[in-house]
This record gives sequence, structure tokens and C-alpha cells, in this order.
Amino acid sequence: MLEKNNLTVLEEGIDVPLSFRLNGKEINLQVPPSRRLIDILREDLQLTGTKIGCEIGRCGACMVLINGEAFNSCLTMAFQCHEKEVITIEGIEEDKLDFIQQAFLEEGGFQCGYCTPGMIISLKAVMLEKENPSISQLKEGLAGNLCRCTGYGGIHRVLNRLVSDR
Amino acid sequence: MLLNREESRDRWRIRPDGKDKVTGALSYLTDRSFPGMLHGRVLRSGYPHATILSIDISKAKELSGVHAVLTHEDVPGLNAFGIADPNQPVFCDKLVRYEGDALAAVAAETPTIAEEALGLIEVEYEVLPVIDTPEKALGPDSVPLHPEGNILHETDYRRGDVAEGFKGCVVIVEETYETPRQMHTYLETEGGVFVPEEDGRLTVYAPTQHGYKDRMQLSRILAMPEETIRIISSPIGGSFGGKDELNVQPYGALLSLSSKQPVKIHYSRWESVIAGLKRHPMKVTMKTGADESGKILAHQVTILSDTGAYATLGGAVLNFATEHAIGPYAMAHVEVKGKAVYTNNGVSGEFRGFGGNQVIFALEGQMERLGQKLQIDPWELRKRNLRKRDDLGPLGQRMVPTDGPTQVWEGIQASPIWKEKDQTGENMEPWIKHGVGVAMTMHGSGLGYGIPDPAGGKMRLNEQGKIEVAFGHEEFGQGLVGTLEMLLQDHFQCDKGDMEIIIGDTDRVPSSGSSTASRTTNMVWQALNNMKEPFLKALFKKASLLTGIDAVKFQTGPGGIWLRGESGDFPERPVITYQELAQQGLEDLEFSTEFHYPVTPDPIMGAHYLYTSTAVVAKVEVNLLTGMVKILGLDHSVAAGPVINPMGYLGQIEGGGIMALGFTTMEDAVMVNGHYATKNMDSYLIPTIFDVPETQYVDAIEQLPEGDPFGPRGVGEVGTVAVAPAIVSAIYDATGKWVTKLPVSPEELQSSVEELPMMWKGW
Ligand code: FES
Ligand code: FES
Repeated sequence: MLEKNNLTVLEEGIDVPLSFRLNGKEINLQVPPSRRLIDILREDLQLTGTKIGCEIGRCGACMVLINGEAFNSCLTMAFQCHEKEVITIEGIEEDKLDFIQQAFLEEGGFQCGYCTPGMIISLKAVMLEKENPSISQLKEGLAGNLCRCTGYGGIHRVLNRLVSDR
Repeated sequence: MLLNREESRDRWRIRPDGKDKVTGALSYLTDRSFPGMLHGRVLRSGYPHATILSIDISKAKELSGVHAVLTHEDVPGLNAFGIADPNQPVFCDKLVRYEGDALAAVAAETPTIAEEALGLIEVEYEVLPVIDTPEKALGPDSVPLHPEGNILHETDYRRGDVAEGFKGCVVIVEETYETPRQMHTYLETEGGVFVPEEDGRLTVYAPTQHGYKDRMQLSRILAMPEETIRIISSPIGGSFGGKDELNVQPYGALLSLSSKQPVKIHYSRWESVIAGLKRHPMKVTMKTGADESGKILAHQVTILSDTGAYATLGGAVLNFATEHAIGPYAMAHVEVKGKAVYTNNGVSGEFRGFGGNQVIFALEGQMERLGQKLQIDPWELRKRNLRKRDDLGPLGQRMVPTDGPTQVWEGIQASPIWKEKDQTGENMEPWIKHGVGVAMTMHGSGLGYGIPDPAGGKMRLNEQGKIEVAFGHEEFGQGLVGTLEMLLQDHFQCDKGDMEIIIGDTDRVPSSGSSTASRTTNMVWQALNNMKEPFLKALFKKASLLTGIDAVKFQTGPGGIWLRGESGDFPERPVITYQELAQQGLEDLEFSTEFHYPVTPDPIMGAHYLYTSTAVVAKVEVNLLTGMVKILGLDHSVAAGPVINPMGYLGQIEGGGIMALGFTTMEDAVMVNGHYATKNMDSYLIPTIFDVPETQYVDAIEQLPEGDPFGPRGVGEVGTVAVAPAIVSAIYDATGKWVTKLPVSPEELQSSVEELPMMWKGW
């Protein structure tokens, strides 16, 4: 994709083939290369676990993992996912809950829950990168995630739990 | 009790809606889509004040992919909405009063086409001068924005004679306090899907805090009987008062009925900023005087509230502010005058705390200043003025006896931060200062005297053999469903799987009043108490008929009805299961209750009957070089009756506390000449995880006066109301500077250039 005439393709919004692995499955789509990943997920594929709150990369509700790193899917365009491995909240764990999810449940780490998928993805990214992250490293991972309901009290309890349970 | 996981033991429970929230499986209403669904967009004026000369939608209509383009001409019923006073047009016809005013709406096959169609609508305006402050709106040559003028509502409460009172004072403090236009900033912006059904009915999937009220308002706009509209309104990604009023609903409903297809509207953040409600900015002037013992003799208050372009609940908010400007203090001579004024600014409306937050900031500031002037510890000064258990309420109304103010006054002193109150001189750079401050208040719940405030619920055994309860309340995150589950388990000792909880769907729930004003916990608690006895009696009677066992031997338990005495270890199985009972017919097993929120017998508009109390202690760090304030600690003592759901209670106080921290130190939806300057979350800042203390100690005082029949009070708002004055007092403690305008401006706290060298020397 995008070898020739990159600019023309981008400017005219012509559909191009896009393939990536999403939650372990191969996905092939025809989309404009600048289509936002968040729209591909929420609208084209009806995967609405990834939320939308600001569309400018400030709230973190739209976080996904791309090749294991956390990205704002509102700022990520289709072509940037080409041949990558994308994991959304739906793909975090198949059968049982991930222990980050479990900690959110047990510690009261959410209320309305709208920020929660993004929070979990951001923490997952830290966990994937570091084997035994410290509280402050985990907290750093949430620098781009806003929560309006909890005041982060429950989320701090989650972080403590993640560190102590390891 | 200190609210935390350990102390709560088996009452710290995983929320029933939790699993779907952490896995992303929960379908919020703005996540839904339907076959053939169109996308709706609303055209906003962009001008804060203008006359509309013409609207031409012809080009937009011709655009391929567009299914409906609507204006004021297409509203079959009342072209207006507003919970208290419907004076906000669905679509403007002649006059635009704020930049978020709607002129037209479009439904199209894709969001892009809808957006393009908006661009093709041609509107001619004659731009008018912008009235961007209440002062301007009240000025002699200001034009009236509404037929009744520019004053939405006025309050005037007096007792005694303040002039006389001030004569006896040895000290009088007078100050004006200003508060910001705070935005709710729910992470899920307003939105929903509107589906015309084959039988001619309309189903609305859109968040609100009062489904039946939306149904009533929509029926007025659409000229459709209420029964033909179904409102599905939960789950909700946060509301805090902001989604109680209609937002997308009129547009989505009209577009879907016109295009005969499902229509989705989901506001962008910018549209949410421009069209959504905010907290009323208020200017509060207080003159308060006391005798040498610190006894307050006279208290005179004026409140000027910027209600923006339309009414919504601006009048009720002002009533609440008027009452709470007096607070938990017994004062002989009082005068409070308030004005809620229309301007061309964004619409102000309901927001957690409901006008209390603004005036309590002022009132508590007065207490601090009085104490200092008299050289009496301000906390002690409060004590000398606190109301007694059976005193009348702030507006002279009879209220339910409460010791709350005294309880929290004492309770907060157990906080670890309190103990640092009089400590100074930590080992820090000379430009880093620490301070501790305290504040308290009393907060009314329910809608208050003179406003219909009905409650109700249903309980039955359903076809699946489950104990089913239905309430017209909403789940916006506060944990209502979890609280209901716990209450049901307390009543019936049944398993989670034995119950079904239905909320947020007008076709399936009774009218229960709004989920606002910290009223829900209390209302569902009362409703379950009312229905439990008759329900059990009927259940046991039926079980007795079917088993031949005397009904007095029965009790409910996991899976069904057990013989008394067997509980505890439940040896084998119930004598009859709920399913077996259900299979034998459900008649006579359905109960409902209707009642009114407890209200004062004294006819004083808006006066409250039930109160909760809170005291807050804050510890701050101020950097004198940058003026930046960091909140190191925020602890609460709350008296709100028994705790049902500790995780939920704690979450409300923690979340409310941080929302108020934002109000105090960073949040303001700035308007310049009637235009929002803060358009998204890059310029409207809310607290991040780095801005908050790691732990807030929350002490819940459960004890109520003997014989109190009202049980657990709601705590949705009380955690927000006394935080600002505690932080501001802590800043004073650290810097010697009184902040009177929120959010705190770092520039004000920065040391002057002259002071800086002294500091370096000191280091
Ligand atoms: S929607 Fe992507 S960061 Fe807010
Ligand atoms: S739980 Fe509602 S925004 Fe975090």
C-alpha cells in the first residue's frame, strides 16, 4: 500500500487495501488511507469497546495496542496500522479476565466505565513493556487517560494492587 | 466508619455492571447502531446574539445522501424545551441568543454527507451587540433577551434586621467571591439513537437523568402522546447533572420521524462544549459581622448568577444557592438577595452541588476571615455558630433533626492531615510552602418545597422466577444497580441470580422521579421497605397453599423459600423454589409503591427537609516561583446516615472531591465576547492522575438521631460542596494570600520580583 502516488491517494481519499491483525484475526478492508482507526473500529467493524471522548488525543478513551504499544486510535490513521498487530479492549483476554481487569473490578476502579477500556489498555502497554513496573511507571502510563468519575482514587488502588500482586 | 476495602469487609462488592465495563462489552447508548441508520447533525448559529433574516435549506436538501433537513417550520408541537421553564427553542426562528443555538438539523447516510449538508444551509443574520456579563444584562440600555426581560429569577430572603445586627458587631468582613463556568466533562458526550418503530411509536436511546421527563418534553415537541414514546436511558457514560436536560433528543427524534429511519447523533466534544450546560458562574458578595465572642449577628449576601441564554433550571439553582448561603450556622439577622440573569453566554444549568458549591466557597471564606480578625481559631468560631439538632433550617423551615454539622466538625479532626494543621517548617526550599485548610457545610437533598418530587417502584415475581424490581432511575456510574442488588440481598437473602433489576426504560419501569439531587439512594431504600412486607406476605401465602406448610415458618433465601431456622447453612434445598412458585401463576405477586420525597411542611419555595453534612480538610503545596498549587491531601468527614454500598459511597466522595479540586484550581470554560475559547480538552483542563492525592480518607458517620425514619441519604453531591473553601484556606495558610476568584490563578500566588531575592537569601 502507498508505494506509488502516496500523496494522490491520501489527498483524494481513495480506498486502498488495508490488512492488519485485530485481536488475533486477520482483517482485510478497503478504506481511505487516512481513515481514523477509531472509525474503522467503532463504525466499520462495530467494535465499540474502544471509546471516543475528544478526538484530539487528550482523553485516552480510545487507546488501543499497536504492536504492543498504546496509541490513541483517534490520532491513528488506517495506513499506520497496515500489517501491524492491533489489540483492543475486546482482545485483551479471551476466556478469563486479565488481572488488570480483575483489579479494576475489585478495587472500584471505575464508575461510569467510559474511561475504563482506555485505562486498561494503557496499563497493559506498561505491563507488556516492563516485567515489574513500579507504581510511578504505571502512573506514567496513565498520563494520557482522563477519568471524570472516580477522582482516580479507585485507580490508585488498582495500581497498588498491580504492584503488590506481582 | 473509615471507608475502605478492609473496613467494609463483605460489603465491598464487585459491581454487577462491572464485568461488562472492564471488558468493553457494555453497549452504551452512543455505541448502538441499527440497520439503515442515518447520521444526524445540528447547525448552530456561531453568533452569540443575532437576528435571523432568512434560512435557506434548498441546497442542502438536494445533496445526494441527505434524507431530512429540518428547521423551526418542521416542529409539529412546542418549538421549545426546558425542564422548569421551556424557553429554549428547539430551532430558532427569529432570534439567536447564544452561539450554540440550533437553526437546522440534517439526517444523511454518512456523517460526512451530513456535515457537508450543514455547510449548504444558508442563513442570513443581522449581528447584534453581545451581552456577555450579567452586569451588562442588567444595565439600563441593555435589550431584553426574553419577553420577561433579562432576569430569570430573583430571591429575597430576610429574617431579623441586618442593619440592626451589624450595629452590635465588633468585627465585620465583606468580600466578593467569583466562581468559574465549570463544565461537566462527562467522558461520553451527548448522543443517542432514535428509532421509529413499525407501529408508529418512537424509541429513544439517549442518556438522561429522568426518562419520564424526557418523554414528557419530547411529547410536547413532537405532538405525540407520551405513551407512544419509549425512552431507554441507561447506561450512561457520566452525567453529573449535565444530561438531565434535553440535548440531542429533540433533533434525533424529529429527524428520525421525518426520514422514517433510525438516526444517530453523537456530539463531538466541541459541540458538547458549545451546546452543553455548565455550572452557573456566580459573583457572591457577603458582609458578615460578629460580636467579640465570635457569635455571628448579621449576614448579608447578594448573589449574581449568569444563567446564560435560557432558563432550564437556573431559577432552582438560585433558590438552592440562597438557602446554602446561610448554611449550617444559626444567625439572627440575615438577608440574602439573588438574581439569575440572562446573557448571551452558554447555557448554565444543573450541575452536581446545584448552586451550593459557589456560595459555600464564599460563606466558608467569611468564617475564616472572621476568626482571624477576632483571633479566634476559625474552626472554633464555626462551632460557636453551628445549628443545634432541632433548629429550624437555613430559610426558617422545619427540617428533619440532624446532628450532622457537629458530627463532621468533630469527625474531620481524626484525619491525618488535620494533625498537620498547626505544623510548620518542613525542610523545604524557601519558595515551596505547605498549608492546611478546613471547611464544612450542610447540603440539602431532594428538590425542595414546592416542586413535585414523586418517587415509586415496582416489585414482583417474574415469569423466570426472579424477584424483579423496577425503578425509573438511571445508572450513570454512581452505582445504583450495585446498591439495589445489595439492598435486595439484605431483604431477601437471595442469590444474585434470583433477582432482576430493571431501570432506565419507560416501557418497563414506573415513574420514580428524577435521579438527581442526591435523592435516589434514599428513594429506592424507602420504596423497597414499602413493598417488601406485602410482597413477602403474598409469596408466603402462595407457598403455603402449594406446600401445605404454615406460612409463619417461611423465609426467603437462595433459590427459593426455606423453612425458618434452616438458614445459615441451608441444609438441602428450599421447600419451594422461586421458579416453582412462578410456574403456578404470577397473579397477586406484583406490588408497587408511590410516595413523595420527604418535604418540609413550611411553605418556603425550594426549602429542603433532609440534609447531609460534610467537613473537608485539604493540604496544599504552593510553589511561589510558579504560583502552582498541588493538592497533597484531601480528606472528608460525611454524615449521611447508614452506608449501604461502601464502594459506591467512597467513589462518590472521591470523585466529587476531585471534580471540586478541578473547580478550585484549574477548570473554567472561558467565554470571550459570547464565544467559548476553551473548545476541547486541550484547553479545558480537568484533573489528571498527577493532580490528585493518592488517597482521600473518607470517614462516613452513620449515626442518625434516634427515631430518624429516613435511613441512608444520597451522597452524589455532598463530596463536591466544601472542597473549594478548604483548598483556598490551605493556600492562605501556605502563602498568606486570600484567593477570592476561582479557579485559583497562579499569577496571584507568585511572589513578586522584590520578594524573590529575600527567599534566595533565606535559603
Ligand atoms: S478520543 Fe482519542 S484521546 Fe480522546
Ligand atoms: S469511570 Fe467515568 S470517566 Fe472514568
